[in-house]
Amino acid sequence: MTTLLNVDNVYKSYGSLPVLKGISLTVEEKETFAIIGPNGAGKTTLFRVMTGEVLSERGRITYSGHDVTGKSAHDRVQLGMGRTFQVARVFPEFTVEENIIVAIEARLRSRSERPLPWYRTRPGSSVREEAGALLQDLDLWSKKATEAKFLSHGDKKRLELGIALAGKPQILMLDEPTAGMSPSDRIATTELIIRLRAANAMTVVMTEHDMDVIFGLANRILVMNQGEMIAIGTIDEVRANPIVREVYLGKEMYGADG
Amino acid sequence: MAPIDLLFTVLNGLSTGMAVFLVAAGLTLIFGILKILNFAHGAFFMIGAYVAYSIIGSNPSSLWIFILAALVAGVVVAALGFVADRIVLRRLRNVDEAYMLIATFAVVLICSGVVKLIWGVNYASVNPPPLLDGAIAAGPLFIPSYSLFVIVAGFVVYLALDIAIHRTWIGKLLQSVANDGWMSGLLGINVPFALTSTVVVSFMLAGLAGGLLLANQTLSPILGESYLLLAFMAVIIGGLGNVRGAFLASVLLGVIESGSSLLIPNMPGMATYVFVILFLLVKPQGLLGGHRI
Amino acid sequence: MKIINAVLFLACLAVMFTVPLWADQGILFIAGLVLVEVVFALSWNLLFGFTGLASFGHAAFFAIGAYLCGYALRAGIGAPFLLLILAAGVAGAVAAVLTGMVLLRRTTGIHLAIFTLALAEILRILVGYSTALGREDGLASIPRPSLELGFASFNLASGEAYYWFLCLAATVIAAFLWLVCHGPFGRILVSIRQDPERTTFMGINVPAYRLAAFTISGATSGMAGALYAPWAQIVTPESAHWIHSTQPMLASLLGGAQSFWGPVVGTVLFSIINYSTRNLVGLSELVIGAVLLVIVLAAPSGVVGLVRELRRRLSARVSQTGPGTEGKVGPKGKLVQEAA
Repeated sequence: MTTLLNVDNVYKSYGSLPVLKGISLTVEEKETFAIIGPNGAGKTTLFRVMTGEVLSERGRITYSGHDVTGKSAHDRVQLGMGRTFQVARVFPEFTVEENIIVAIEARLRSRSERPLPWYRTRPGSSVREEAGALLQDLDLWSKKATEAKFLSHGDKKRLELGIALAGKPQILMLDEPTAGMSPSDRIATTELIIRLRAANAMTVVMTEHDMDVIFGLANRILVMNQGEMIAIGTIDEVRANPIVREVYLGKEMYGADG
Repeated sequence: MAPIDLLFTVLNGLSTGMAVFLVAAGLTLIFGILKILNFAHGAFFMIGAYVAYSIIGSNPSSLWIFILAALVAGVVVAALGFVADRIVLRRLRNVDEAYMLIATFAVVLICSGVVKLIWGVNYASVNPPPLLDGAIAAGPLFIPSYSLFVIVAGFVVYLALDIAIHRTWIGKLLQSVANDGWMSGLLGINVPFALTSTVVVSFMLAGLAGGLLLANQTLSPILGESYLLLAFMAVIIGGLGNVRGAFLASVLLGVIESGSSLLIPNMPGMATYVFVILFLLVKPQGLLGGHRI
Repeated sequence: MKIINAVLFLACLAVMFTVPLWADQGILFIAGLVLVEVVFALSWNLLFGFTGLASFGHAAFFAIGAYLCGYALRAGIGAPFLLLILAAGVAGAVAAVLTGMVLLRRTTGIHLAIFTLALAEILRILVGYSTALGREDGLASIPRPSLELGFASFNLASGEAYYWFLCLAATVIAAFLWLVCHGPFGRILVSIRQDPERTTFMGINVPAYRLAAFTISGATSGMAGALYAPWAQIVTPESAHWIHSTQPMLASLLGGAQSFWGPVVGTVLFSIINYSTRNLVGLSELVIGAVLLVIVLAAPSGVVGLVRELRRRLSARVSQTGPGTEGKVGPKGKLVQEAA
């Protein structure tokens, strides 16, 4: 298996406050990698550094063979990185269908797969078909003409996932995909990600708080605390790590075994 | 260019700067607390000037009447401000920036229209009151007394505001509302009261400025414009919402403006605009940036 | 719905083209000015309503085009008029690119507003200072050109002839802007307006798109200026004054900034108000100010938005369709309406 994403000894401070102190990880193709840690651990910052929202001060990030350390976010997206946001960000004035159409058109324009004629005011039929298929996959087809601002939270999250998927990413970065969801929504989202992941052969990197979601989805985990790496490895390896237990998982997870 | 010219330029600049500050003070206050950039400020300045003019005419009989007229203008405009707050500003608190600018600009148009309808488009000029119509000799320099008056007035207003904001309970109230209105509300602070009083004070300052600066220029419906533009720039350069910053920036801009008329008299205002652009490119958050007043 | 729209549209076009037949010289002149300001407003709104950038100094582009054209026509250098218009567009574009590169990377919102305002004022001062450009008095007695098309030549000296040319030119530029706004490029601009960050994460280089929009806007404003110069036959530094910059703003908001046709509706309404209140000084400002205030506070999507809302409610009552299948506010509405 080839390494798709390589984060090498990354540092990041906000002003005088160090938030990331030397984080390194690799993500293999087709695997699902999760990043967990208590609040303030630096998960979000690491996520931002990987996606290009902020730039690191030290260290390198290599994606798909390219050195993307200094590259802007949109460059990384064009190379195949897709992402979602913790608080679902969709385009409120567009309808559900338009949200996806715009995402598909953005992909076509930026990757020049098939340069779009600038004067084409109605999205082409192939774009519509693709949008339609994606919406059906996400179970949003019935709501395609609703303006996104009227959607429920769960629907917004799925639409957001749709926007990311419309970019046909090679690696999908999910920022707390089940944040703020009810338990049933959580399960539904997990199943959705499993299905889409298999269908599109995607590599997934996610930050999460909910351990059940992690156990259901992830192959390998990185545990962070206060900007440092506590443990990295498969689920079982991490579970067995005593430091991790102490810092994060808590003894309640293991019942009487402590 | 003799050193005396330089000195005169600086003094002139100081006077202009204080005049700008008198206008900018209310503007920055309203922005710091309500986060509204109030284009209408210039219009209320103009109304204040017209109100004061109505009281004292072209030849004010004494200094005290002059000051009194300015105070009355302040009160009248404050009352108008109260009304404007109820009708307009209240609704602007959560609106997009551009819409807010347009709405306040609409208020400008309304004020300008009303002024034209009531007072007509004719220009009028007001002479400085006795005591201020001469010049004071300081060594080789002749300083117009009126300019000194403006400088003193500017300082007085600044000190009053600074003390009020940083040392009184109402100032602390405003500071906390400026920092976090929602939180302040939770702590039991009467936020609507704070907001309304800010508006009222801000407009009072505008009206007062209109009255005080009356003898400085010709009275016409476009009066508000040149001062407003400078005041806006002073507010932004000073750091939006910061009174001290606005003060410093006003003085700075005043001196630059004054120097500009000395060095390149054919291109009025050019140096100021260039300075503003360069400054904002280098330090967009302003001199003493941040939202606190 | 589409038929009503089409009929209305054609009716407006018809009215526009036939003005010289039923109006006196005074009204004809105003109608020509309206056409120029419509192009200016559409050009400004591409930036504001679609991309979300408020430029407060757009009159500078207009003035650049106007002065370029006016100067060239007065100097009698014999360049074809169409070429002059294109040159004005290029000049506007160049000015936009230069300023946009500096500004757009760092500033948006209020800072951009003040920047563009300051830059426009600088231009105005420079122009007012230049003797070659007539200083404060500007360039007067600009001759109306003749249109050389190789196979035919049209003398545009008369009011009617130039007016019809204005109609054509305005229609062509408006059509171009319509295509830009309604194609994939325009849709991306609207995404940028709604959520620039999300758009970045769709792989779009947001600053580049903003710059492109700014450039197109600058170019078309310059062309509007070039169309203006021979019509008014005088160009003064007032064309670059910030008050002129506010006109497309007011028009767009009055008509509805988030619709393509809003600026058109707004400019026309604006002119009507101005004309009908011209006798009482101050009344026009009062009325316009009051109307604008009402719009911003009560109907931020302008006249067009109100009309659309009205239609939606009427047709929702007639046919019991669900929400969102008829008249939505905003250019995005067109996307799905056709499919329904």
